[in-house]
Amino acid sequence: MRKILIIDDEDDIRQVAALSLETIAGWEVVTANRGAQGIAMARSEKPDAVLLDVMMPEMDGPTTFKNLQADPATAGIPVILLTAKVQGVDQRRFASLGVVAVLFKPFDPITLADQMKEALGWTD
Amino acid sequence: MADAADKTAQLLETLWQKNLPIFHERMAILQQASDELSRTHSLTQELRAEAASTAHKLAGALGMFGFPKGTDLARQMEHLLIEPRELTATDAAAFSVWVKELAEVVTP
Repeated sequence: MRKILIIDDEDDIRQVAALSLETIAGWEVVTANRGAQGIAMARSEKPDAVLLDVMMPEMDGPTTFKNLQADPATAGIPVILLTAKVQGVDQRRFASLGVVAVLFKPFDPITLADQMKEALGWTD
Repeated sequence: MADAADKTAQLLETLWQKNLPIFHERMAILQQASDELSRTHSLTQELRAEAASTAHKLAGALGMFGFPKGTDLARQMEHLLIEPRELTATDAAAFSVWVKELAEVVTP
């Protein structure tokens, strides 16, 4: 079974994303509400992918991603950024970070898993 | 898949009900900003930043719960609040309308 780590400071977003991925895709989901906690969980839980919010207090998504990339234990985990920012300049900046994909809030809970599968190249 | 989608839709409704207090807290912040804007045609830096952050969160969440118009309205508010300029009486009037519309969209 695939395991996904969701890192987002907003309770409602975490809850809906987890519900979607567990119910629709049947994936195991673990969650963190801060970047630092998410990095620790990435090391301990070894998820198959991370769904990472951009705007978070203390450590934002791009910084969290850079920290994940800098650690050999987590550098190989594919990361998908999740953002409510829709301006083109933001999209280009996020895409240039080296993440697998950038998905946008509000996402459709029914199709979130399919969007992630497509971005990750997962066919199962 | 249809069963999973139906189950997800049902659980989403449950989550929406569970998260209503968060929504009401966020609306209260936007209402506070709207009241202040209507009265003074300006916002303190703190309230403006808080309202922009709140609108950003609502924009990201409401569509997910089946309120796409709510996302559009919240996004309009966010964009207005993050513009690097002073707000005006016209902005205050528009913001007040958006807050009212947003409340109506999510509480029919």
